[in-house]
Amino acid sequence: MPERLRAERRARLAAAMAAEGINLLVVAGNPWRSDYLRFAVDLTPVEGQVFAFVRREGPTRVIAEFPAEAARFRAEQGDLQVTWSTSPTEEAEAALRSLDGECVALAPLAAVPQRLATGPLRSTMAAATALLDRLMLRKSPLEIAAFRRAAALADEGYAVFCDAARVGRPEYALVADVEAFFRSRGCPENFQILGSGGREVRGMHPPTERRLAPGDLVTTELTPCVDGYYAQICRTLVIGTPSEPQRRAFSVYDEALAAGIAAVRPGATAGEVARAQNEVFRRHGLGEYVTSEYTRVRGHGLGLYVDGRPALLEDVGLVLEAGMTLIVHPNTYHPEVGYFVHGDSVRVTNEGCEVLTRTPRRLFSVAAG
Amino acid sequence: MRRGLISWSRDEVPVSVLESRLAALQARMREEDLGAMLLYTSFARPSAVAWLTHFVPYWNEGLLAVLPTGAPTLLAAFSKRMHGWIRSVSHVGEVRSVSNLGREAADLVGRLPGAPRIGVLELDTLPWPVAEPLLDSGRRVLTDASALFASVRQPADETEIRLAQRAADIAARALGSIPIEATRTSQVLAAVEASARLDGAEEVLARLAPDLGTGTALRRIEGDMPLGARYALELSIAYKAAWARVVRSLSANAPQSWRRAQAWTSQWATGITGVAGGAPPGAIAFWTLEACVGSQPFSVVGSAIGPRGTVSAGTLACYSIQLQLQDGPWLSGGPVVVGGDGPGRLLA
Repeated sequence: MPERLRAERRARLAAAMAAEGINLLVVAGNPWRSDYLRFAVDLTPVEGQVFAFVRREGPTRVIAEFPAEAARFRAEQGDLQVTWSTSPTEEAEAALRSLDGECVALAPLAAVPQRLATGPLRSTMAAATALLDRLMLRKSPLEIAAFRRAAALADEGYAVFCDAARVGRPEYALVADVEAFFRSRGCPENFQILGSGGREVRGMHPPTERRLAPGDLVTTELTPCVDGYYAQICRTLVIGTPSEPQRRAFSVYDEALAAGIAAVRPGATAGEVARAQNEVFRRHGLGEYVTSEYTRVRGHGLGLYVDGRPALLEDVGLVLEAGMTLIVHPNTYHPEVGYFVHGDSVRVTNEGCEVLTRTPRRLFSVAAG
Repeated sequence: MRRGLISWSRDEVPVSVLESRLAALQARMREEDLGAMLLYTSFARPSAVAWLTHFVPYWNEGLLAVLPTGAPTLLAAFSKRMHGWIRSVSHVGEVRSVSNLGREAADLVGRLPGAPRIGVLELDTLPWPVAEPLLDSGRRVLTDASALFASVRQPADETEIRLAQRAADIAARALGSIPIEATRTSQVLAAVEASARLDGAEEVLARLAPDLGTGTALRRIEGDMPLGARYALELSIAYKAAWARVVRSLSANAPQSWRRAQAWTSQWATGITGVAGGAPPGAIAFWTLEACVGSQPFSVVGSAIGPRGTVSAGTLACYSIQLQLQDGPWLSGGPVVVGGDGPGRLLA
């Protein structure tokens, strides 16, 4: 599957480059923004800056910053021409100077270092980034298949998380259990944040030493990666029997999630999906809590990056198309119970959307004793 | 992605240590007549800001503005809701939530009196969305301050060495948790992940050469692969923002040659800037010495093919070496405090 995905993405990229008249696309990446590099050449850096010189036709040259990474890239793909340098940006700059008269473009804006961006390719960056964005937004059936497997793994991961949530355990122990499970399933990456406690909890964060206590709301978002594609699940559980305010709060978030998912269809905007969720909160007198004071986004794109386009915010006009993949999550603070999360991964279909998350939409609870 | 424990223990990382590091940087800034210094931080480049403030931005990014005196200002691409968390894990002056790091930084340095030069750590590699507003504002002269920062970053202080020792110990216990009967990469990676994270690791990065009989490249494993009779594992462990990298060759039936290789390598590693420990038990296929001198946890400061600059005594580094023994390849590595007149100190 990974080799088929690689070949398919490469062919799509070559066609797009041909359409734009680009002979050579220089793609920058690093361990944080590896998504464009992954799409273009199927590489995921563990450390250092990496540049790939992707020709429309012909071999790809890769410049890595670390010898171990260079050796790994060669082992992963024998047809790549890989070198390493402690100054990869200078090396890439020198390589670009040696190209004469070719139509070259540089991307993505998020990962290009200043030294290259201020060079002669500055004017190409916006268009080249947009080219890749277009390709990455709409997933092919093979990409959707990987996303689907990631969503299934997220479901399994949440079951592990529930088992791990016991009174007295520190937050980081829950994450340890989940990460070990994902590694046991061959999943190399997971983005996870969580929160635990009551009304004082305003958001999620990396795990701390705080130990779970009876009555806690325990929130998490899990985002495992399969073949490069991230899918996400957001759920909230209670340590012990949920209180009436916790149940009431859940019903609002559940209604908002359903409304958001119902709004996902081709032709709708990202803003409409956000608005559908926010209207539920407004109807319940909680409109204040869907502002930036209390929450960030009502969901976002998923794929080769954990927090991709589009952001689901009311002022985002990006039009949804079949093949896009999203998390819809009305996560925000609730004044009676604290920060609360609830979200499903979905794909936009020709008719509407398919929910790929299979974990029931309920307020989970685990024994307090 | 960062997914382990991020916390600040004032006992393990005293405020006084963070402030003395900051003071050392500010003294150098005054010597170089810099009006401010900007240090970028992200998941990929967390180390400089973490060393000064203990702040690690897990999945987000930030920019630390250091003036010649006083506490630094953290510009963070986080919402205000995260200020409590940021304060709980770091020692900074003002924290500002900003939507555009570069523009906010341009405004900040633009308000400084006079026309001071502004130092930027790793100016060349600053991500373009951050660099563009800074450069386009044209209000201040930006200068690369990487060498200045490196001059205060090493030698390591005892606090950092203790943290690296703890990271190395976490790695050692993780390696010890690997089931002897493991036959798949997933068994190895699950075991070390669970052990290291339950031990308090902030980050665990594993690369694995699954079968030394077919290749020595340390791979990022996606999916699952069978293990050969001999394999090698590299663990890069972060503990409270300090990193240790440990490489071990592993086998249920480790040959005698590996013991001799380890004995020689320990000698070699402790004498890395001085006299090597006699003739190696096999050809040296490759070696590297990595240290934290900027924003990344590791930078290559020496290798078999360069660079070959001088590494100062007391530098906290990690060596990696590959020997071609008579019965096959062997990989090893670990953290070391580079020696001066005497031998260095191995931490693993």
